[in-house]
Amino acid sequence: MRSNYQVQATVGLSVLSQDQREELHLAAIHCLENTGCKVDEPEALELLREAGVHEVSPGHVLIPGSLVEEALRRAPPAVTLHTRLGDPTVRLEGHRVYFGTGSDCPYILDPDTGERRRFTWDDVGAAMRLCDALENMDFVMSLGLVSDAPPAVSDRRQFEAMLLNTVKPIVFTAHDRAGMRDIMAMAAAARGGPEVLEREPSICLYAEPSTPLQHTRTAVEKLLEAADHRLPVIYTPCPIAGATAPASPAGCLVVGIAENLSGLVMHQLKRPGAPFIFGGVISIMDMRTSILSYGAPELSLFSAALTDMAHYYRLPMFSTAGCSDSKLVDEQAAIEATMSVLMAALSGANLIHDTGFLEAAICGSMEMVVLSDEVIAAAKRILGGVPMGEDDLALDVIKEVGPGGDFLAHEHTRRHFRRNFRPRLIDRRNYEAWAKRGEGRMSDRLNARVKEILAEHRPEPVSAEAKREIETILGRAGKAAGSQGVGGG
Amino acid sequence: MFDSVALSAAVVAGDPDKVKAETASLLEAGVPPKDIIEQGLIPAMDVVGEKFQEGEVFIPDLLFSARAMSEALATLRPLLSEEETAASGRVVLGTVKGDVHDIGKKLVGMMLEGAGFEVTDLGTDVAPSAFVEAVKEKRPHIVGLSALLTTTMGQMKNTIDALVESGLRDDLKVMIGGAAVSEEYATQIGADAHGPDATVAVELARKFMAELGA
Repeated sequence: MRSNYQVQATVGLSVLSQDQREELHLAAIHCLENTGCKVDEPEALELLREAGVHEVSPGHVLIPGSLVEEALRRAPPAVTLHTRLGDPTVRLEGHRVYFGTGSDCPYILDPDTGERRRFTWDDVGAAMRLCDALENMDFVMSLGLVSDAPPAVSDRRQFEAMLLNTVKPIVFTAHDRAGMRDIMAMAAAARGGPEVLEREPSICLYAEPSTPLQHTRTAVEKLLEAADHRLPVIYTPCPIAGATAPASPAGCLVVGIAENLSGLVMHQLKRPGAPFIFGGVISIMDMRTSILSYGAPELSLFSAALTDMAHYYRLPMFSTAGCSDSKLVDEQAAIEATMSVLMAALSGANLIHDTGFLEAAICGSMEMVVLSDEVIAAAKRILGGVPMGEDDLALDVIKEVGPGGDFLAHEHTRRHFRRNFRPRLIDRRNYEAWAKRGEGRMSDRLNARVKEILAEHRPEPVSAEAKREIETILGRAGKAAGSQGVGGG
Repeated sequence: MFDSVALSAAVVAGDPDKVKAETASLLEAGVPPKDIIEQGLIPAMDVVGEKFQEGEVFIPDLLFSARAMSEALATLRPLLSEEETAASGRVVLGTVKGDVHDIGKKLVGMMLEGAGFEVTDLGTDVAPSAFVEAVKEKRPHIVGLSALLTTTMGQMKNTIDALVESGLRDDLKVMIGGAAVSEEYATQIGADAHGPDATVAVELARKFMAELGA
């Protein structure tokens, strides 16, 4: 028996001291009070005016720090996402980490031909089946944009492909409020009603302000709709350091934080206590190629710092990892995915998305999802740290084995070795064994695994009744849209 | 021919004060404004462009040079004859209706100015009718349309259709850009080209000017 013994049970990192967090928070408040933001949605503007913001010019508001403090006090520190079957598998709180894919890539690398082509409805379904089977994918986003559905309803069709092909919690995008409503109705049909869906959400909306400091009408409509229904919402800025945000990390963070906080204020004014997820896709503009870089170490650094802020605010955090600027699933993709996955896991972000992204979010790849899955498993082992129980210290075992002995067949080894990371695709054979098996490169094994899962895995289907309801909703949406040309390609 | 070394160095360094000073002294020495532009400023920007391709300078450096150059151009343009002015390429840019994303478009605009074009940026959320009005007013050689979102890229087609309806389409070239669009989409909607990034946009603009015989 002993007292006062402290253990670091898991491994982690933080980028910002408590003072730095406080300083960034105050800087974001200063930004909102002095630069403010533009809001283009009438209901939100009314709410803000009633709450006492100063309007510099129509739609350009300065938000006082007191409104932010109130919103932070009301927003819940924990959001739980459920599977389609009602299991509360994703607990977005504290430093619990969960991983998933990204959304809306226009292109896919075809797993059969290697061709880079437009993402289709079938591809979304396949990607969802893949994620349904992968152990380390906790939630899903679509990975790709459904390019072969009529543009006006492509968001509903995209969601349909997700709903039918996985039970895991779904983070979805929608064109607008109407799209959101149809999607929520579809999800409710699969869950047994809107009350169940609201009480135990299995879906979460993804929406974005427009950096720097602009809240567009469509984005805010969706934000308020989510608040109204207590639908978990990620309202996430995408500050690009050097382009839409300052090039200095701290300045870039200030803009991202200010956008999150101003979104939160509007959201909480609409419905206090509604679930809100903080976060961002935060990185640099590459100053040679002008892309928003998804593979840059800065993405990992800034995301980890933003995660520290989410912890400071006691809000769930939406972060980014498992993605790359490479055009192929190659060494570059592996480097970039590994760095970001490990950093995101160590930082303790909660809802970590964008696994499977290549080409800086233009191309989705199922092999890249599988690669990320493997890296996540390894990262989780690192997070597990060094347990320090009596059995872990193993002094009696060491004495038993003695100098020059071995631990191979010891009971203790049998008990403990299974906690090691178990490589599935990572290869550790000796040269001869590896050459004999002929599975050569990691990229070959990734591709084979994708094909294997797609051939074998059958996700839990939705009920026939739900399917009918979903089809009715889609049919109604199709009629309402008519042949209106929204979107394209 | 005149000694453009100092002018060139100032452009490459992205120093607007030096560029203006050099420009002023060259004018004082009797060098025709047209020559200063064509034999001084534009070749200097070409040097910057090469250094950028080589990875010696980067986008912010490029933009400083472009801005220094366009400030000098602003002082020189009023001094050009009518015929000389008409020769410089005119571009109208805008982010289409419903979309507020503009960082790529801004980059294109700044680099086009650096290449000697006269650029009118209509901003964001620009309705097809506003593009039509701007084209009537400015008579540009080139219209550039930008959209980030798949939900707004359809407005590119609407804008091109509006230009067709107003009888303006045939006298100009249209290029499009943005993360969701492609060469394929450009062809589909009747645009002349797709620019995957700002440097290509400048190349396309130059190509268009040659095609238009301007």
